[in-house]
Amino acid sequence: MSYMTKWRALDHCDDHTRDEEATVEQEADQSTSNQQVSDEWIIIKDSENVDVTTTDRQAAVSLQLGIEAAITAVIRIAIADGAQSEGVTQDFRQVINTRQSNRQKTIVEQSKDIEITTTDTDVAVNIQLLFQILAAIVVALDVF
Amino acid sequence: MAENQSKNDPIPGKVVKVMVDEILRKNNVKPEQVKNNISNEQRQMLKEMVEDLKTQVDQFNQGEKDTTKTDK
Repeated sequence: MSYMTKWRALDHCDDHTRDEEATVEQEADQSTSNQQVSDEWIIIKDSENVDVTTTDRQAAVSLQLGIEAAITAVIRIAIADGAQSEGVTQDFRQVINTRQSNRQKTIVEQSKDIEITTTDTDVAVNIQLLFQILAAIVVALDVF
Repeated sequence: MAENQSKNDPIPGKVVKVMVDEILRKNNVKPEQVKNNISNEQRQMLKEMVEDLKTQVDQFNQGEKDTTKTDK
């Protein structure tokens, strides 16, 4: 008879005295750029009053792509010789592509008044590293 | 420029410098020659591009976060 005693977050929705609608949110973001696979899952089941704070992945991915494109652009413009610039771009791509995949899952079940904050350190470090490389290239080639 | 932002850097600036220099050396790129390939206009454009990205990276690091709340 365990179901009799089990607390359920949505029970109060059955009595219609409260003017509320239960919302079920499901979000599964997956982003892939080159070698990077990064996905985060937050599953919330049978719970109420849960605050979730997470990294804006869309912004992170476009920022990564932007810096990668900038690195390629700087190399292309600075190194006129096609074969040479291709070689340099390839070499940098190899460095940039050494990335780990980040999978984190957070499951909240049968809980009340929870705050969740997740930080995707991988993506933050990647962005920082990419920009570091871009800045170093600009300095090394004495672009400005 | 690379020296200015050592606080948040995941790997030391010197390591990145060595790596970048090594990649350029391996591909026979001479920075002295490269200078002549870039017009002033391009120089300006690249500068703006890098500064733009720097702003975006800083903004990102300051933690632009998404917050989702379930109903109370």
